[in-house]
Amino acid sequence: MLFEQLSGNLIQGLVLGMVYGMATMGLSLIFGVLQVVNVGHGAFIMVGAFTALTMFQAMGVPPVLAIPMAFIIGMSLGMLFYYGAVKPLVSPSGIGIRKLSARGKGVIAGSVVGVILLMWLTSGFFKVNIAIYLFLGIVFLYAIALYIYGGRRQDKAAELATLLVTFSVGVILEEVVKQLFTSEARGYNWDIGKIDLGITVLPYTKLLAAMGSLAIAVILYLWFNKTRAGMAMRSVVEDDVGARVCGVNVDWQYALSFSLGIGLTVTSGVLLTMFIPVGINPYMGGPYTLKAFVIAVLGGLASPYGAFFGGVVFGLLENGSYTLFANIPGLEPFAMTRFFSFVMLLVILLIRPTGLLKAK
Amino acid sequence: MMVKGSGKYLPVVPVLVAYGALLGYGLMVPGKWQLVSQLAFYCTLGQAFNLFMGMTGYVDFGYVAFMGVGTYGMAVSIYNLTDKGLGGWVIVIGFALAALFSVLLSLAVGAVALRLRGAYFAIATIGVNEGFRFLIEGARIWNGSEGMIFTRHMKQALGKPGAMAMGTFWADVMMFAVAILAAVLTLVYMRNKVGYALTALREDEDAAKVMGINVTKYKIIAFITSAALAGLLGATAWALKLQYVYPTDVFEIHYTVEAIIIVLLGGAGTLMGPIVGGLIYGIAKYFLAIVLPGFQLLIFAPIIIAIIVLFPEGTVGILKKKLTGTALQRYVI
Amino acid sequence: MPLLRCLNVTKRFGGLVAVDDMTFDVHKGEMLAIVGPNGAGKTTMFNLINGVFPADEGPIWFDGVDVTRFPAFKRAHLGLGRTFQIPRPFASATVQENIAIGGMFGAAGKEISVDEAMEMADQYIQLIGLKDHRDKPAGGLTPIEKKLVEIARALAMKPKLLLMDEAMAGMNPKDIDEMVAFIKQIRETENIAIVAMVEHIMRAVAGLAERVIVMHQGALLVDEPTREALTDPRVIEVYLGRPTEEMNA
Repeated sequence: MLFEQLSGNLIQGLVLGMVYGMATMGLSLIFGVLQVVNVGHGAFIMVGAFTALTMFQAMGVPPVLAIPMAFIIGMSLGMLFYYGAVKPLVSPSGIGIRKLSARGKGVIAGSVVGVILLMWLTSGFFKVNIAIYLFLGIVFLYAIALYIYGGRRQDKAAELATLLVTFSVGVILEEVVKQLFTSEARGYNWDIGKIDLGITVLPYTKLLAAMGSLAIAVILYLWFNKTRAGMAMRSVVEDDVGARVCGVNVDWQYALSFSLGIGLTVTSGVLLTMFIPVGINPYMGGPYTLKAFVIAVLGGLASPYGAFFGGVVFGLLENGSYTLFANIPGLEPFAMTRFFSFVMLLVILLIRPTGLLKAK
Repeated sequence: MMVKGSGKYLPVVPVLVAYGALLGYGLMVPGKWQLVSQLAFYCTLGQAFNLFMGMTGYVDFGYVAFMGVGTYGMAVSIYNLTDKGLGGWVIVIGFALAALFSVLLSLAVGAVALRLRGAYFAIATIGVNEGFRFLIEGARIWNGSEGMIFTRHMKQALGKPGAMAMGTFWADVMMFAVAILAAVLTLVYMRNKVGYALTALREDEDAAKVMGINVTKYKIIAFITSAALAGLLGATAWALKLQYVYPTDVFEIHYTVEAIIIVLLGGAGTLMGPIVGGLIYGIAKYFLAIVLPGFQLLIFAPIIIAIIVLFPEGTVGILKKKLTGTALQRYVI
Repeated sequence: MPLLRCLNVTKRFGGLVAVDDMTFDVHKGEMLAIVGPNGAGKTTMFNLINGVFPADEGPIWFDGVDVTRFPAFKRAHLGLGRTFQIPRPFASATVQENIAIGGMFGAAGKEISVDEAMEMADQYIQLIGLKDHRDKPAGGLTPIEKKLVEIARALAMKPKLLLMDEAMAGMNPKDIDEMVAFIKQIRETENIAIVAMVEHIMRAVAGLAERVIVMHQGALLVDEPTREALTDPRVIEVYLGRPTEEMNA
């Protein structure tokens, strides 16, 4: 009985784990290239989930087709985020944004205009809500100040600064989405049948999400290893200075990989919606940030493929432990599973801190 | 600046003046106590958080967990010991338990996290509050997700008017005491070897080690002190004031966010920073809550980014620079 | 027993042997130069001596104690001082505070109070001639001033042995002369052993060090008095005979 329950849950865990893995690849990519930990990771997953929800509910587009849209949204958010907040702190050329290329300046200027236009077009909030005005005003002033004064490179404090900045960006996304959609939990129901495996039942949507994740991981692998652009990015992961010497525009690679990382993360949010029938809300990202950290650390933190396998391992462990907790009387299995993922993070960090620290 | 003898501790004057003025304002001006209480809470939160984040340069995203277990410390004492006929002593025991719980948690977290550098430290701490909340709910510790309501026990221990006064007045006064304790500890650390060791490790941990500084020891000192203060703050600002505790409320990450905002607004690693930051944040939040309820984070999150990128020294950091070479220099740190 | 004894010390990074079977002594009050082209393993050797990371093989004895497994701060307490190639003063602390930190936590740190360390720092500020900068944050100093602050910080630790990493790299001849005079002066006044690491045997080194160790590809090539090292054909070969070495470095 327990065995059947366990093996059924492990199959579910395998399927979910692949999506977890895909949802962590962006985090690892960004850390690998920029040495920046995106503490706002979960918020980008949330953005992806809302993209899928909105496209399904408002336009009737099946989530699979929302993937390209989510990827584009993610890439754009990533560019905006990078040039607006991360680059002034980690700029590899050691300068503030003042000496930014025309491209970077264009991106900033365009984004500010774009954000305002987008708010204008997408909702009536612009006319009613003073808070949005205030928010946009601050963002606008910030962009101007950044443009004029340039960022300050803070060598010693750069790490602390990037943690706080990525964290704040996550908060902004949550709050903006809360303004647009309220904080109530939503979901959508996309039913395309299911397969009965005897020990467990798998909806095709979940299988599709797992296969999609695997496909994206494979595409990423091929892109990194077979294309010119992919190899340029990989060279930055391997050796920043070496890449520069070989004529790779490291600044641009930073921007590209950052936005690619965010693009992947937002995309994974679309796939994750197939596992959470009613859990889509602005604050849903928090647990995924924590899970992504566990997974990334499992996979070596700087390797997107490591992250994918880490995700599979994590999915199995999570569902396996859920089954065990559910069979121990007096425990609430859901909460205990969440506690378990936190303990797992500490244990991994405790066992292999040196090995992990060495990983570039 | 030569800081020697008793002159070393002169910067405590503006701290006491600031808290005295705030307390005085609350006592003199009718109807403002609620605001004063809120401001004192933010100043204390900043002061306690700054002792670790500001002085070491490490961010503890799970900080609110220390406040949470502190709240439980007080709650457990009042809830379980009132029947034992200890009277008002349950409060004293509650504070002791609050400090104990938060110190124990900080030791457990610190044992893992403080071995790690920078980003890894942040990763290790980010789940602490959630993790602990789910442990309480999952293993049904301390009533699990049902929480503890101890209004009745408070009335029994302190009498009905006593319990009322505790919630509306004395809890806030004790919060001021925690704030001043935190500020004094910060200053004492700054003026002693602990402070110099923390400055060194914040600037360059490897060079600090080579200078003979046992960096782990000093990080632990700052971490535990900061955690204990958070525990005391939770015990008074949440347990004594509200007289109930729910796991979902006291492990809420946005208190960590608020602590970060306050410390950065005021100036990380400065003594006056948390007071300035707490007042700015508290007042702004108070008015925003009237004009635009529920929008504080939307407004403050971009402000954090702006401060980090454009003004990393914070208000007091900038003020300190301006005052260098003037008579006021020795008072503002 | 010499002050410092390294016996068959080896350090590997993956497949690379950065320090290969190094054996040498440093005696009390001695001035020794470790010379070698970029990439010869000098900095790694320094890091092993003062414990930035542990050695894979070989005991390191310092002042009669086996320090092979000691963390860096404990070695500092025994009397090991260090300066870095690129100076690393604590940027936000003032010059005085930087030097005082050395005094507070160094070899005599336990007996020295904060106030005493501050007073001691003033003496060293006098020594390095930065009186006007005493209350300025060290982050705003020029590179040479930073270097001086760092040396003063290391001296305030009251070390028995001072490891100086490229003390004269990137300086013009006039500054080098001043630095040499300064190092000679502190050797006399402080009575400590100094191991200086330099890329080339320059006139400056010849005037300072009594003995030279030449490292090549992580291993010890030459250990002899300075006068002989200057004309040693093996040393000349390292620098002139295989120019590709330096290019790879």
